[in-house]
Amino acid sequence: MRWRRALVALVLVMLAAAAGAALARSAGDPDRQDPVRAVSAGLRCPACQGESVADSRSPIAAAMRQVVADQLAQGRDRTEIRRWFVQRYGADVLTDPPARGVRLLLWGVPALALLAGGYAAVRTLRPGAGRTGAARTGSAVPWAPDARGARRAWRVASAGVVALVASVAIVADRLDPPARPAPADPVAVALQLAHDLETQNRYDAAAQMYQEALRDRPDDDVRLRLAFAQLRAGDGAAAQRTARDVLAREPASPDGLLVLGLAQRNSRPVEAVDTLRRFLAVAPEHPAAAEIRRLLATGREPVGP
Amino acid sequence: MLGDLGTAGLAVGLACATLTTLLWLRVALFGAAVRTARHGTAATLAAAALACALLETALLRHDFSVRFVAENGGRDVPLYYTLTSLWSALDGSLLLWLLVLGGYAALLARRAYPPRLHAYAMVVLSVVTMFFFALSTFAANPFRAVSPVPADGPGPNPLLQQHPAMGVHPPLLYAGYLGLVVPFAFALAAPLAGRDGPGWVRMARPWALVAWAALTGGIGMGAWWSYAVLGWGGYWAWDPVENASLLPWLTATAFLHTTLVRGRVAWHGALACASFLLVLLGTFLTRSGAVASVHAFTDSPLGPMLLGFVLLAVVVSAVLTGRRAPEPAPTERPRALSRATLVLVHAVLLVTIAAVVLIGTILPLLTTPLTGSGSSVGPAYYQRTAVPLAVVVLLVMGVTPALRVRDRSAALWRLVVPAGAGLGTVALVGLLSRPGPAALTAFGAAGFVLTGLAGDLAPRLRRPGPHRRPARLAGLVAHAGLALVAAGVAGSSAYGRDTERTLRVGETLRVSDVAVRLVGVDRTGGDGNMAVRARLVLTASGHERTIRPALRYQAARDTAVTVPAIGAGPLRDTYVTLLAVAEDSGTATVRLAVNPLVGLIWVGGALTAVSGLLAAAATARSRTRPAARADRPRPAPVAVGPGAPT
Repeated sequence: MRWRRALVALVLVMLAAAAGAALARSAGDPDRQDPVRAVSAGLRCPACQGESVADSRSPIAAAMRQVVADQLAQGRDRTEIRRWFVQRYGADVLTDPPARGVRLLLWGVPALALLAGGYAAVRTLRPGAGRTGAARTGSAVPWAPDARGARRAWRVASAGVVALVASVAIVADRLDPPARPAPADPVAVALQLAHDLETQNRYDAAAQMYQEALRDRPDDDVRLRLAFAQLRAGDGAAAQRTARDVLAREPASPDGLLVLGLAQRNSRPVEAVDTLRRFLAVAPEHPAAAEIRRLLATGREPVGP
Repeated sequence: MLGDLGTAGLAVGLACATLTTLLWLRVALFGAAVRTARHGTAATLAAAALACALLETALLRHDFSVRFVAENGGRDVPLYYTLTSLWSALDGSLLLWLLVLGGYAALLARRAYPPRLHAYAMVVLSVVTMFFFALSTFAANPFRAVSPVPADGPGPNPLLQQHPAMGVHPPLLYAGYLGLVVPFAFALAAPLAGRDGPGWVRMARPWALVAWAALTGGIGMGAWWSYAVLGWGGYWAWDPVENASLLPWLTATAFLHTTLVRGRVAWHGALACASFLLVLLGTFLTRSGAVASVHAFTDSPLGPMLLGFVLLAVVVSAVLTGRRAPEPAPTERPRALSRATLVLVHAVLLVTIAAVVLIGTILPLLTTPLTGSGSSVGPAYYQRTAVPLAVVVLLVMGVTPALRVRDRSAALWRLVVPAGAGLGTVALVGLLSRPGPAALTAFGAAGFVLTGLAGDLAPRLRRPGPHRRPARLAGLVAHAGLALVAAGVAGSSAYGRDTERTLRVGETLRVSDVAVRLVGVDRTGGDGNMAVRARLVLTASGHERTIRPALRYQAARDTAVTVPAIGAGPLRDTYVTLLAVAEDSGTATVRLAVNPLVGLIWVGGALTAVSGLLAAAATARSRTRPAARADRPRPAPVAVGPGAPT
């Protein structure tokens, strides 16, 4: 029998060693996962509820994934990218912020449950534990009432029952549906992201982000930024449409006139000159005014608004 | 008209529930006749059923003067989804809640148990029913009138109109949630009736098994549903609402296990109470709009009232189960490594996982008032905490059955082959691929458990004739199911691969050896409900076939829903989602994912749920044939004490 035991032990030890090696091999490969996914899984999608940037299908998440990919391509590591996002959008952007302050509860509460449960289990199993309570055996039937006690219990309980129903009736009358806590404002994040994309000269993506923001907040300010982005992305027709949209409400909008004029220059040069003159008339002090004057005077390419 | 009838029905139901509570209290306190109280319970159920029927009628007749119909009905909603829209929003689902609760109360009222214990249990159940009737009547009355009456409604949330599971998943979950009220009622009734012994646990166990089976089925079906409908290819997002269903499941599982070992009264009471309290807490979390969730179908003023009731219930259960008579002193010292010990270890682990899930779910609620800013808890937290704990639970699950044998060295010998199989699995899988330590350990644990179960099951299946202990067989099947779920979760999370790209017609997208080629894009439907389908040729393992993932847009609610095309296979699924389509239909953005071993999750979940029902049936049968139980070997008596569990 002894040799059999030894053999079994040997086999188990060998298997355990092989399993240990397999685990070590598996653990030593951090780049198993797609790095973009790994980083974006740690970022929260600002436009959705409870989804990470890696899982979300919203355009804002797609743009954030793109930013992650760009930064990875520039050679930044994961911590740097996370820090970049936190600096811009606040700690709320992380799905998994570091455990500090209240977040220590995330570890404290389970640890407490484990300790308390373990203590209770040990007490349950330890012989003699029951004896400490043996003196109280007299009260084995604690609440078996006599007739008077029963009547008292009846009165108290029926008053309680009525009180419960009454309190619901009263409270229900005074309650309004709760205001939903507004998490990160998706529009603000979309605008910030669009701005960042513009600084990286990715005007197509920026225009898409502005459109995203517009859907939630139909605002002429956003619309004008969209028009600029469209213009810079080379989509003159779209820029014209967007600018006209603004001008329809506010015919003297300087930025509206500026974008429209610049956008018209390829398709309708005559109207463009007209529009830009109107722009100069409306806003002679505009930062782009000098450039436009020069443009109108020489017909040279503008540097841009 | 229907609206007034419905409001009247709810008011009658509230009156019936209040009366019923008092009638059962009379039975409990003065030994009054049970018959009237039973009639009261039946009348309450009838009122709940009437309210449900009236709301269904209003939905079917498109009576938009009823508020719930105006908000959730629609003329062009298919009949099936009109029927299921009763539980597509808070106020209506509260009626289903009442119906299920009333059903459990009526069933429990008819059974014969020790009279005072029974009466007190019915009092507890009636109070719960009364509270929810009051909520429905005063705070969330779906029958309130709308003026002016709209011509049409938006229909239920489009996500709830995509899949037939809508007819099964919510009722199943409710059956699970509310079934847990019965063990809770018994746990509170026992000290009130002066029957502190373990007797009530035997009566509560079949109810808990039924509830647990329904809850398991409901959770599994919810996971499958989100996998098949939501288009993100996952099954568990650690979303607050998902977590809310997991919490009572964990404690109910612990309860069912501790009931297998005699003399755990303190644990039984605490776990039975905790399970239903977590149901109430989950209801509060998901019905109050307090937590952000993808299940954001509910926004209501019920929050504070539900919270108040949760607190009341916590205090009452703490006072009642805390005032327990001391348990008899143990006669012999238990062995350190006994089945009873491991069952307790298992319970402690499950409670710890529940604590992890609970704090992870409610922390965002706590941080806002404490720190002024919101704070989210992402899947990474649960992966670091709950997943390792779950693997340990799996290992304990594999060890425990071997300890049935009294002889320790024989027990150890029984573990040799499973341990070898588990280690071998880890070695083999880990040398062939690199799934990561967590998944690798889960594979090993699943191999360990399944081999042990096979060794346990094989001789049983070989033995002819009826099995002497079907409940135990059901337990083994449940464990096998959970091991399969673990393997499926580990496999799909470790080996899943996906990619997404915008394709022009004719272009191909690839993941490993699976490829999809875009053939065309079709648009159907008019302004109200537009659908875009991509025609794609899927090439997998040498076979070609056409699949058609869709993107549906519902104008009434301004939402788009993705309908993925899933090619399910025994070893892996191919999962294709249409994310966006260009205006001219020339290009489509497509996500292609290959999800290995996902099928194991559904098979395992179904096995587990069915085994719960089998166990319930077996337990109920053995209750009716007490003689058959006499020859069972009893577990060794072990020490018990008044240690207060968490």
